[in-house]
Order: sequence, then structure tokens, then C-alpha cells
Amino acid sequence: MTKRRMFLRMITASLLRRRSRMLIALLSIGIGATILAGLVTIYVDVPRQMGAQFRSYGANMILQPTEAGALTEESLQDILSVFSPEELVGATPYRYVRLDMTSRQQSFNTAGTDFSQVVKTSPYFSVEGAYPASTREVLVGKEVAETIGVKPGSTMELTYQPSVSISNNPQDDRTPGAQLSGSAEGWSGGIVYVSAVLDDQAKIASIQIDAHSQTPEFGGRATEDEEFAAQFIGKALPLTLGQEVDALSGATVTSTAVVDALNNARKATPAALPHTLNFTVTGILTTGGKEEGFAFISLADMESLTGESKLDVAELSISANAEQLDTYVNEITEKNQGVAAKLAKRVAKSEAAVLSKLQALVFLVTAVVLLLTMICVSTTMMAVVSERRREIGLRKALGASDGSIRAEFLGEGMFLGGLGGIMGALLGFVFAQVVSVNVFGSSITFQPLLLPITVIVSMIIAAVSCLLPIKRAVAIDPALVLKGE
Amino acid sequence: MSLLELKNVSKIYGELKALDNVNIHVDQGEWVAIMGPSGSGKSTMMNIIGCMDKPTKGEVLLDGTDISKLPSKRLTDIRRDKIGLVFQQFHMVNYLTAVENVMVSQYYHSMPDEEEALEALGRVGLRERARHLPSQLSGGEQQRVCVARALINHPELILADEPTGNLDEANENIVLDLFAQLHKEGTTLIVVTHDPEVAEAAQRTIVLEHGRVAREVINENFGKQ
Ligand SMILES: Nc1ncnc2c1ncn2[C@@H]1O[C@H](COP(=O)(O)OP(=O)(O)O)[C@@H](O)[C@H]1O
Ligand SMILES: [Mg+2]
Repeated sequence: MTKRRMFLRMITASLLRRRSRMLIALLSIGIGATILAGLVTIYVDVPRQMGAQFRSYGANMILQPTEAGALTEESLQDILSVFSPEELVGATPYRYVRLDMTSRQQSFNTAGTDFSQVVKTSPYFSVEGAYPASTREVLVGKEVAETIGVKPGSTMELTYQPSVSISNNPQDDRTPGAQLSGSAEGWSGGIVYVSAVLDDQAKIASIQIDAHSQTPEFGGRATEDEEFAAQFIGKALPLTLGQEVDALSGATVTSTAVVDALNNARKATPAALPHTLNFTVTGILTTGGKEEGFAFISLADMESLTGESKLDVAELSISANAEQLDTYVNEITEKNQGVAAKLAKRVAKSEAAVLSKLQALVFLVTAVVLLLTMICVSTTMMAVVSERRREIGLRKALGASDGSIRAEFLGEGMFLGGLGGIMGALLGFVFAQVVSVNVFGSSITFQPLLLPITVIVSMIIAAVSCLLPIKRAVAIDPALVLKGE
Repeated sequence: MSLLELKNVSKIYGELKALDNVNIHVDQGEWVAIMGPSGSGKSTMMNIIGCMDKPTKGEVLLDGTDISKLPSKRLTDIRRDKIGLVFQQFHMVNYLTAVENVMVSQYYHSMPDEEEALEALGRVGLRERARHLPSQLSGGEQQRVCVARALINHPELILADEPTGNLDEANENIVLDLFAQLHKEGTTLIVVTHDPEVAEAAQRTIVLEHGRVAREVINENFGKQ
């Protein structure tokens, strides 16, 4: 038998036959190695995770038309051609218009957008229900949904009220050929809108009534009832209900409002009529931000409502570093007159800062854990040494040199370190996986290099932890131990 | 020819003189017993001879070398090469089997050789129990393993500090027979004992009192039993 085999035999016998004590040392190394392997995995994986996270944390570039310029879906596609398909994570167009929901006497900002892109540039949007998949579907912000009382599956109407320029000169009113526009309060506070065109004798040539805010079976009929509308043609303002015109049966209040609206009407140019579409609510949006006060519809619906196809802003999510982003911003601004690009600086800059802070934190925690492991292993080995004082004295009496005693304890320590390291590498991966899935919401792949690194580091830590206990062991005096204690 | 010579050796602990100007001389192949009351300095002397301690004063010549002033590393080498130790407490490595305990001694000395270790256990009548752990052996059996371990490297000098102090009659006789055999083979033996019967087995008895050699007795009956 060689000396080496005897050495291994003694070490394994010591570890196997003195199980309980060694288990504690093994456990402390194992736990240390687990946390080490786990944190290192996270440490290595954090930049990857964070990169994806930040990229997925929304837009990092904003396109807006300049004061003189304009942004349309076509010009947007044009601009996007500077990016390679891999770089362009998403590009979401937005057209913001304030729309009314007359039946609830509410109005709120509504965005026309492309939902297939929203998912990419605003992945943090949390939707109860689903995103709209076709036209005439609406995604309602939580705040709006609470105010108007809708749920996924509800229906609601949205009205585009064109901005009307009203003449400030009373002389203009009721002049021949004037286009008039007015409103008055109808049933239970609902506003009734009326617009009319006067002929060359300043008599009503045509009239349009919007009574959507009124009860559909009663006053609401005023919108569609041709007979009711026909009464007004050829009449001169002002009018009195019950004299020149009769009330719509069962809707006296609404009819009064129509007449009042006409009497209040001022000259308006141009008098575009409000446009209303019916929508089905597909989902309620929660973001914790201002988006909750918005409703979102498709760009196509927005165009139908407003008759315009312009965009107010496009949010881009580009997978590139800060430098590249700057280059792109300049390129776009130079090339496309009428559109200005700028960085969503807050996210892009904080990405690097948060990343380095997170890594520093992980590094610090790892260092602390390693230190604790070392203290723990050192303490255990110290206890092992005092427990084995007699045996060490005996070995020395039998002729063991200080070097042999060192080698034996170091051997035991490193054996434990290796075993704990293997244990730790595997458990650590599981630990990192759990953390990654819970914190970052994505899984990580096993790094094969992790096993040797963890094992080697554990062995080094075990060896370093053994230094002080070994010093104690070497100092044991064989004479004292054997004298008859 | 003299193997061991103590010249004016003293070991002083503060006020206490554990050994006080001791002069002893042991020949190669001699079997010497050391007796004396508790605290008279027997173990102190054995530790000095066994290269595990150094005297405060005096010279200790082992095989012609003065070991009284050597650094502990050299003492370890000499202890390993020349001396076999048997203790009152049966000191064994408690997680190693009987044969492994014997092999530990070989390991530090030269090369572990399981066959040779088993033979040594055979000599003390424990070949069958070679694979047993100390906890599975009786006190007498453990002490026999220690004797096997002490003789495995063929030391010139075997030092035994009260080797039979905790043994029954039967085991005491086995150990004494082993000493007699080793003596015949030419090994020098120094045995500390309280037991007159054990002392009578030796050729000469040195009696210590208060750290001094009180008297020496030659055993007239040696070899006649
Ligand atoms: N390390 C020590 N420190 C102080 N006193 C000691 C030490 N070792 C032994 N002694 C003392 O020396 C004396 C001799 O002890 P020892 O050689 O063990 O006696 P014996 O073995 O004859 O019973 C005793 O009084 C003992 O207390
Ligand atoms: Mg004693």
C-alpha cells in the first residue's frame, strides 16, 4: 500500500466514521457553496436578465412631429427602416384625442394605437381580459372603467366632438347662410347638441340633432326622428316649443332642449358634426400610471371617428446601447424633416446605474456569505481539533511531523470543501433558478463552468478556514496529551 | 554497550523539581523497570527519553546523540525512527480499525504494509480482530494493539508507561510475555510500573522518589521463571 492510499484511507475513515461532526462542517460548506453558486449564477445572469428587463421595460426612444412637421403611419414605417429587424423590439404609434361618452356625460383622453406593438413597447401593461383584436373594440384604463362603470364584455359609445370655432360677434348670428351650432341641457343633465344651416332669408335650411345623451326610447329618438326634424325647416329663430314646433311625444324635456339649443346657437365655422361609434370593452388596463386614465382603440377606429390619419407620437423600443441610440437619434433627426427623435433618457441611463448597483449588491452579499461560511467552517474545524486533541497528540507521539498533521487536516478540509462544492453547485443552480423565475420571471441555463468553479472556490475556502485550526493542531504537545489526562 | 545515558538531568516546573539531578544508564538490549510513588517523576522521565519533552538541565545521550537540546523537529525524527511507545491509557485512533491503527505507525515511519501489520497483530493474538474498531475491543485487546503498533517499526527502544495499569491478570501476562519475546529479540525495554510483579519480570529496577533515583535493584531471579 502506498502512502497516498493510506492518507486517503485515514481521511475517508475520519469523515465516514465520525459522521455527525463532519456533517455539520459539510453542511456549512454546502450551504455556503449553494449561496455562492446561486449568487454567482445570478451575478453573471443579471446583466442578461436586466438587459432584457430594461428593454422590455418599455420605449427608449420617442418620435414626435416637429411644430411644422407631421408624423403619419407611412412616415413612421419610413423612419423605422434605419433599424435592423433584430434591433427593433417594437414601435407603437399613438394618436391622442379627447372623446366623449355622452351617455355617461364623461369625456376622457383616448389613444388610437397598434395593440400588436403596445405589447412589445409596454410589456408592463397588465390587462384584465384581453387586448382588442379588431376594430370597434376598446381597452379601458382602470380609472376610466371605474368612473363609467364598464367591465370586459360591456359596450360603450365614443363620440368625437370636432372642435368648433364659435364666432364672438353676435352680429354674425342668424345672418343669411350662417352655420349655427348650439347645445342645451336636456333630460337629467344630458347635453343635447344641435346644428343648423340658415338659407338666404335666414330661415332654417337644414338641421341635425344629437340627443345621444338622452334616454334612447324617449328623448334619444330626437337624433333620428325625421318628422320631428322636418318641423324646423323654413322657420326663423327664435322658436317656441308648442307654437312653431311640437314636442316629440313623450320627450318634452328633450324637445325643449333642442329648441333652446337652437335659440342659443351661435355662428360656427366649419360646423362638422360629432361622430359616434359603438365599442365592445375587451379589457381593463392597470399600469399604476397615467395610462389608467385613458381608453385605447385601434388607429383605424380613431381615423373613422376623426377623419384624420395623423400620429401624435411613436414610442420605440430599440435593443442598442446608449451610444448607438444617440447615433440613431441624430440620423433620424437629420434625415426626416418634420420628425424629431429623442431618447427616453430616464430608462436608458438608469439601466447602467441600476445594473452596477445590483451587481455590487450581489458581490457584497457573496463576500459576506463567504466570510460567514469561513467563520462557520473554521469554528467547526476548531471544535474538531479540540475534540481530537488526544488523537493528534498520539499521532505526533507516533512520529507524525507537523507537515503530516497539516496535510491530514487540510486533506479533510478540502475533501469536505470539494463535496460541499458539488452539493452547492447543484443546489445553487436550483436556488438561482427559483430566484430568477420569481424576480425576473425568466429561467436561466446551467453554466457547466459553474461546477468546477464552485468546487475549487469551496475547496479554497475550506482550506483557508482550516488554517487557524491547523495551527492549533500543530501546537498540540504530545507529552501533555499522553501524560495521563 | 550503552544505549541511553542521563547525566545530571533535572526538570523544573517553577518551584517544583519533577526530576532532580538524575543519572541513569541503560545498556543496549537491557530490560529495565522504573518504579516509584505517584508524582515521583516517572512520566516526566519517560517523556524526556521518548523525545517528547526536554530537560531543564543535564544531558540525555540516546545512541550517542545528545537529545537534550535538539529542536523538536529532530526529536520527532528520532522518536519515529528509534522509539516505540506504549501508554497506560490505550491510546488508539478511535475511527480506525485495529490494523489501520498499526498501519498509522508504519505510515509515519516509512511505508504502510497491511500484511506486515496483520502479522504484528497475529503476534499479539489479535489477527482475527484486525478489522474491529477500538470501541469493539476490550481494554486488554486495545493495549495489545498498542504493543503491536509499538513494535511494528522494529524500534531499538520500547518505552512503556504503566502498560498493565488497567489490565486484568490474563492480559497482563500476555503483555509481559510479549515484552519477554521482544527482549529476546534484542529490543531495549524501559517499563514504568506500580506493580512489583511487572517489575520483577525486568532485569533491573530503578526506584524514583521526589525526582531522584532512590535506589537500583538487580533482579537476581531474571530468566529463571
Ligand atoms: N507540565 C507540568 N507542569 C507542572 N508540573 C508538572 C508538569 N508535568 C508534571 N508535573 C509535576 O511533576 C511531578 C512529576 O510528575 P510525573 O512525572 O507525571 O509523575 P509520575 O508519572 O511519577 O506520577 C508531579 O508533581 C507533577 O505534578
Ligand atoms: Mg505517570
